[in-house]
Amino acid sequence: MRYYVQRVALAILLLLAVSMLTFGALNVLGDPLFNILGPVAGDVNNPDSIKMIELAKSEFSLDRPLPVRYAIWLSDFVRGDFGVTFSSTGQPPVSGVISERLPRTVTLVAMAQLFAILVSIPWALITASRAGKISDRISTLNAFFLVAMPNFALAVILKFFFSIKLGWMPLTFVADDPLSSRLFQMILPALTIGLPVAAVYQRLLRTDIITTLQQDFILLARTKGLSRTRILLVHALRPSLFSFITVVGLNTGALIGGSIVSETVFRIPGIGSTLVESVLRNDFPVVLAIVMIVASSFVIINLLVDFAYTLIDPRVRR
Amino acid sequence: MNTTSAVASESEPFIETVGLKTHFRTPRGIARAVDGVTIQIRRGQSLGVVGESGSGKTVLSRSIMGLLPRNGVIREGSVRYRGEEIGNRTPKEMRSVWGREMAMVFQDPMTSLNPVMKVGKQVTESLRLHLGMNAAEATEVAEKIFRDVRIPEPSRRLNQYPHELSGGMRQRVMIAIAMACGPNMLFADEPTTALDVTVQAQILELLSEQIHDRNMSMLLVTHNLGVVAGYTDEIAVMYGGKVVERAPTKVLFDNVKMPYTEALLQSIPRLTQPSHSRLAMIPGRPPDLVNPPTGCRFAPRCAYARDLCRSEEPPLTTAETPDHTFACHFPVGSPEYLERKVEIERRGATTGGGN
Amino acid sequence: MSAVNSSAGAETAVARKKLGFGFWLCIGWLAAMVFIALFTPLLPLKSPTANFLDSSQGRPPYSPSWKHWFGTDKDARDVFARTLYGARISLTVGFSAITAGFLVGGTIGVMSGYFRGWIDRVSSFVFVVLLSFPSLVLAILLTSLIERSLLTVSLVLGLLSIAPVGRLARAATLQYSEREFVLAARQIGAKDRHIIVKEILPNVAIPMSSLALLGMAVAVVAEGGLAFLGLSVEKGITWGGLIQLGSDASKTLEKAPWISFFPILMLFLTVLSLNFAGDRLRTFFDVKEMTL
Repeated sequence: MRYYVQRVALAILLLLAVSMLTFGALNVLGDPLFNILGPVAGDVNNPDSIKMIELAKSEFSLDRPLPVRYAIWLSDFVRGDFGVTFSSTGQPPVSGVISERLPRTVTLVAMAQLFAILVSIPWALITASRAGKISDRISTLNAFFLVAMPNFALAVILKFFFSIKLGWMPLTFVADDPLSSRLFQMILPALTIGLPVAAVYQRLLRTDIITTLQQDFILLARTKGLSRTRILLVHALRPSLFSFITVVGLNTGALIGGSIVSETVFRIPGIGSTLVESVLRNDFPVVLAIVMIVASSFVIINLLVDFAYTLIDPRVRR
Repeated sequence: MNTTSAVASESEPFIETVGLKTHFRTPRGIARAVDGVTIQIRRGQSLGVVGESGSGKTVLSRSIMGLLPRNGVIREGSVRYRGEEIGNRTPKEMRSVWGREMAMVFQDPMTSLNPVMKVGKQVTESLRLHLGMNAAEATEVAEKIFRDVRIPEPSRRLNQYPHELSGGMRQRVMIAIAMACGPNMLFADEPTTALDVTVQAQILELLSEQIHDRNMSMLLVTHNLGVVAGYTDEIAVMYGGKVVERAPTKVLFDNVKMPYTEALLQSIPRLTQPSHSRLAMIPGRPPDLVNPPTGCRFAPRCAYARDLCRSEEPPLTTAETPDHTFACHFPVGSPEYLERKVEIERRGATTGGGN
Repeated sequence: MSAVNSSAGAETAVARKKLGFGFWLCIGWLAAMVFIALFTPLLPLKSPTANFLDSSQGRPPYSPSWKHWFGTDKDARDVFARTLYGARISLTVGFSAITAGFLVGGTIGVMSGYFRGWIDRVSSFVFVVLLSFPSLVLAILLTSLIERSLLTVSLVLGLLSIAPVGRLARAATLQYSEREFVLAARQIGAKDRHIIVKEILPNVAIPMSSLALLGMAVAVVAEGGLAFLGLSVEKGITWGGLIQLGSDASKTLEKAPWISFFPILMLFLTVLSLNFAGDRLRTFFDVKEMTL
C-alpha cells in the first residue's frame, strides 16, 4: 500500500513541476500580453487597443508577480477553467474547444495503440518461433524500414496510396458524419501512427519470447507432449509480456506526439492539430491547456503502467 | 505395433539403445557427446547413469527421449522403445509419447516450472490434454496426486505459484506432473542436485516408491554415486561419452572393476571418515569431446594407466560377477593394477602424504 | 542443460564480430550526405530558389526530366537542388542537437553517476520532468516561443536529448564506479577528476558512441517533424518543409508526388543509415562486453 501512495505522491509532484515549467516557459520566454492579444498588444497609440490591453491585464492579472499568476492559473485549471482563447472573432472558452476535440484524439490514439498491439503480438509469435529462418530475417528488415520512416513521411505516403491513388480511404475527416464513418475515416491516420510502433513492439516481444523459449520450463512443457502452438500461446507468451506491457504504456507519449502529425496531415480537428494551429497563432491559453493535458495524461498513464505491472507479475505482487 | 510384440515379456528390454552416437555441432567442431552407448532397461527396472559433467549422461537421456536441441543429432545407432525404433522420429511424432508414456524430471524445479502459472494448472494441463478430463475431474485427480507425492495441504497448494513453495515441494510438484498421466518410463535428470541434503533423501525415497508402485522404468542421471546407491537396480558409469562400467548396484559397489568407478566411489564423502579429512578428488579435467584422446579416454587422468591404455581403446568385457561389464585393460584386482597400487602407496609414504 | 546452445541462442550469442558490409554502406551514404551538406553552394546545381518557368511545358509543376532530375514544384523551382540544400539544415540541426545533448547530458549523467548525493537526486528529478512531456509536444512548445534560427532550434532539440542521454551516461557510470579498479583508485587517493577522465569516461564512451548515431537519427526526425509543422528554422529549406509543401494540398500530392517523395526518400535513407549503423555498432560493442 505504501508503495502505491508513494508513487501517486511522486506523480502529483511531477505534474506540479510540469505545470510550473510550462507556465513559466510561456510567460517568461514569450510575451504574455502578445500571446493573448496578438498584434494589438503593441498598438499603444490606439485608445481601443489600450482598453483591451487594460482589460486583458486585469483579466489575466498580468501586473501581479509570476508566482501569484501561476497560483491563480493553477487554481482555475484544476477546476476545469482553462481561460478563454484568443481569437479575432469572439472568444470561446478554451475548455469548450478542448472538450470538443479531445475525444477525437483519444479515439485516434486508442485505435493506433490497438492496431499496434493486435499486429505486433501475432507477428512476434510467428517470427519468434521461426527465429533465424528466412521469413524472420525478412520481417526484421521490414520492421527496420518501418521504424526508419518518420511518421509525417509515412502519413504522406499512405495518404497518397490509399486515399488518392486507390481511393480506399476517404480523404478528409468530416465532423458531422455518423460515428461509424468517422471511425472508418480514422483508420488510415491510426495506422500511420500505429504501424511503426507495432514494429517496435514486435521487435521487443520477439526477443523476449525467444529468451523465454530457452528457459527450462519450456523444455518441461515439451516433455508433457504439448503442441508447439500451445506452448507458444499458453506458456511462452505470458512471461514474455512484462517488458511489452511497460513499453506499450510508456509509448503512449510517442503516440500522442504522432497524433499531432497525423491529425495535421489528415485534417482531423483533435487537440494535436489544434496545438499546432494555436502555436502558429500564438494562442497562449490553448497551448498551455493542451500541453498540460497531454503531460498530465502521460504522467498518469505511466503511473497506471507501474501499478498494472505489479498486478500482472505474481512474483512482484505485494 | 502388432499384437504379438505388444505382449512384451517382463524380461525383454523396455528401453534400449544400441551403439548410440549423438553428436553436436559446435563452433569448434563436432562434439561426440555420446559415442557408442548400448544399454537396456527392463520393465519396472531402474538404471542409474553416473558420470561427471561432460560425460554424456544428460545427452544420453535426452537422446532417448528425443529432446535434443537444434544443433544435436543422433548420428548412428538405434533407440528402441518396446521393440520399436524411435531414434529417427520427429518431435511431432514423439509428442504422442511424451507425457503419456515417457516423462521427465529435471534438476532445478525453480526454473523448470512455469513461474507465472499455478502449480495445479501445470498438472491438470496434462490430465486434460492426454486423458481428456474436464476441469473438475482434473483438479480432483491433481489433488490426489499431490497427496501421493506427499505435498501437505494439497488443495491449497494447487492454487499457489512455484515461488511460494519450498525447493523440496517444488520438486514434488515436478514429480507429480511427471506421474500425472501414468507414464511407463521416467527420465530423472539430477533430480536432487538442487535440493538441500536433508530433502534429497526424501525425494529419492519418493521417486523410488512411485516407480515401484506404478511398475515404471526409470533412468536416473546423476554425478553423485551416493545418490544411486540405494535407489537403482543397475548402474552404468559413463566417461567421455562411453559407458565404462555397468553392473547391478550391489555388484558394482562390492566388486568394482574400472579404476574410474573406484575413484568415484572413493570421492563419496562418508560419515565414517575422520572430520576435516580431505575429500578425495579425481585430478584433471574431462576429455575434449571434439578431439578425444586415443586409447582409453580416462587414461590421461588414471593413476594406473600404462602405454597400452593410451594407444588402444579397451573393449567392453564381461566380469565374473553376473550382468557386469566394464572397459579396462588393467582393471581393479588385476596384477598390473596391484603392482601400480603398491608403487603409489610407497610414494605416498615417502613423501609423507595422507591425512 | 545449458551446456549446448540451441541455434536460436547461438544466433544472438555468436553475433558477427565485424561490422559488416551493410554498416559501411550506411557510413558511405552518411558521408555523402555530410559532403553535400557542407559543399552544396559549391556544387554545380541549379539555384534552389529560382523559378525555371518553361512555357513550352505548360504550367508547373514539371515532372522529372533530364533538365530537372527530381522535377519542379508549383513555382517551377528545381526539386533536386532544393532537396540537396535541405540536407544542410536538417543534418546540421541533427548533428548540433545531439552534440549539445551529449555534452550537457553526458556531463550531468557522469557526474550524477559518480558523485551520487544531491547532484544525482536533483538531476534525476529534472530528467523525469523533462521526460514527462512527449518530446514532440515539448519541442513544439519551446520552438513556438523563440525566434527560430539554426542555433535556437538546435538548442531546443539538444535540450530534449539531455534527459535520455543523461540517463544512459548515469547508468553506465554507475556500473563502472562500482568496479574494483575504480574503488582501488579511490583508495590510493586519486583525485576524482582524474578517475573520471582516465577510468570512467573511456568505458562509458563505448555504449554512448552507438547512442550518438541513434540519437542523431532521432534528432533528424524531430527536426523533420518540426519543419513539417512549420516550426523549424525560419525561411530555411528543410526536408520536412519540402515534404509539407509537396503534400499540403491533395491536388499537389496527386498530380506531382515527386515534390514530396524525393525529400522523403533522402530523409528515409539518411535515418535508415543512422539507425542501421548505430544498431550495428551497438551489437558490435555488446558482444565484446559479453565475452569479457
